[in-house]
Amino acid sequence: MNNNTSFELNLFKSFKEGDETAFKFFYDKYFRRIQSFSVQFIYDQEEAENLAQEALLHLWQNRESVESINGIQAFLFTYAKSKCLNLIRHNKVKDKFKNDLLNHKERELDIEVLNSLQFDTLELTELERIIQESINDLPPKTREVFIKKRFENKKNAEIAEEMEVTLKAVEAHMTKALKILKTKLSDYLFLIFILIYNN
Amino acid sequence: MTSEIIQKYLSNEASEQEVQALFEWIEASEDNKKQFVTAKKAWVLSGLSEDILSDSVPLIQMKPKNRLKQYLSYAAVFLVLIGLGKTILLFTDTSKTSKEIVLEMGDGRLEYFSGKNQTTLVNDKGDLVAKKFPDEIIYFGKTAADKVVYNTLTIPYGKRFKLRLSDGTIVSLNAGSSLRYPEQFSNNGNRNVYLTGEAFFEVAKDKEHPFIVNANQVDIKVLGTKFNVSAYPENPTVNSTLIEGSIQMSETANPSNVILLEPNQMATWQNNAKKITLKNVDVSLYSAWTKGELAFKDTPFSTIAKIIQRTYDVEIINQNSDLARQNFTGTINISESSVENILDLLKRDTPFNYSIEHKTITITNPR
Repeated sequence: MNNNTSFELNLFKSFKEGDETAFKFFYDKYFRRIQSFSVQFIYDQEEAENLAQEALLHLWQNRESVESINGIQAFLFTYAKSKCLNLIRHNKVKDKFKNDLLNHKERELDIEVLNSLQFDTLELTELERIIQESINDLPPKTREVFIKKRFENKKNAEIAEEMEVTLKAVEAHMTKALKILKTKLSDYLFLIFILIYNN
Repeated sequence: MTSEIIQKYLSNEASEQEVQALFEWIEASEDNKKQFVTAKKAWVLSGLSEDILSDSVPLIQMKPKNRLKQYLSYAAVFLVLIGLGKTILLFTDTSKTSKEIVLEMGDGRLEYFSGKNQTTLVNDKGDLVAKKFPDEIIYFGKTAADKVVYNTLTIPYGKRFKLRLSDGTIVSLNAGSSLRYPEQFSNNGNRNVYLTGEAFFEVAKDKEHPFIVNANQVDIKVLGTKFNVSAYPENPTVNSTLIEGSIQMSETANPSNVILLEPNQMATWQNNAKKITLKNVDVSLYSAWTKGELAFKDTPFSTIAKIIQRTYDVEIINQNSDLARQNFTGTINISESSVENILDLLKRDTPFNYSIEHKTITITNPR
């Protein structure tokens, strides 16, 4: 499977040769994705932006080591993952709850989630396809709720008002969306596991 | 109950008490914990694909007009018309002459595609250039061409046709379309074809000779790829949808007005504004016709009516303003459905009456 246009492949070539305009293209493409990934573990929008910036700077400085265009994404997410793990382990993530034990438990769980994510090139490309398809396949209303929530950061109440439905309905759509995604992704992650295991 | 709290937790809307309860549930069993970890993974990873956002037009714009219809508009948004019976034959007396697929050759000869047999096609020098089938024509790229001779193939309403050009490119032509193409591409320069209507291209790779589809006021330039072009003269736009590879659309009169497409994108040229815009689309909707299906996603009735007119060779006069404003989503199998099947299904969502006289369908308000 190859989704890259010759346009992007040319950009990748220029990027490798040190062309800043080409780098700017990948910067714009990935900045928000890394930020939105990181914020789920460090719970601070600004910190997540810093992290995304750092990841991209790191990419620019190490462009020789990235061998293929798909490698860019893998490079960035692997960096973001290890950076998040570091911040959590060194207690540099702000406390979210008043209850210290709860903060502690959350970090433990986040470490577990992060450790179970393997960002190799193939997996990421495939994952992205599966995720996109899964979201597109959600029933229209559910999809609308999910997108508003996940990508537009809207609160349940706002969504309920916008879509002229009850708060309960929004929650039900979210629960459904999450259930579908969870099933599809866990099937997939299971497959990857088998692949790795057999090799 | 738990899954509701999980989704609240993930989107940062859970109260501390709720989180506390959630974490107690997680600790209760290894399986619960696994469930939570997968849920968080799914949530985190769903942010991977920002492309979804650019495509996030509201999907259901269909506002139920009264409570009675509320249920129906949910149920009927997705109309799947599969084999509803091939009952009523509406259009038995199709007049022969204008309704055939016609090939006009470079020297003015006309060939019709009506017979069931396969025949051969020779050029003015008597060389074999193509094989003709009832719904397909295949050109051979053997003869060396010193001059480029153009042929024009015209597909009437109600028919579809497949064409294999001399370079190996496969073109599916939709109802009411016409393609002008060389009998044999020249060995130097671009491969130019001219389209009116809709066609799906699977262009044979040839880096030396870019393939260019001239449609209305735009040129679509490709190197080897699959894409759909819709350029019906009655529409104010030309749409080109890319499935695989890479193409660019540019204004014929002003080639610097150009846009490059990535797979799963559609470029739209607006005749009036002379502008080209780009958006992400579900490409399967735009190539469904090549598989004998019509697929709609939140498509206004006015657009659906045009497509039905071409596909089934009928005329639709809509006098129902409610229907005109309505959008529909669904898939129709062309050969297994009739116009009546389709109208009857649409009627269940938005009530209307219709009458059929000869090939003209008149839609009126419900009585």
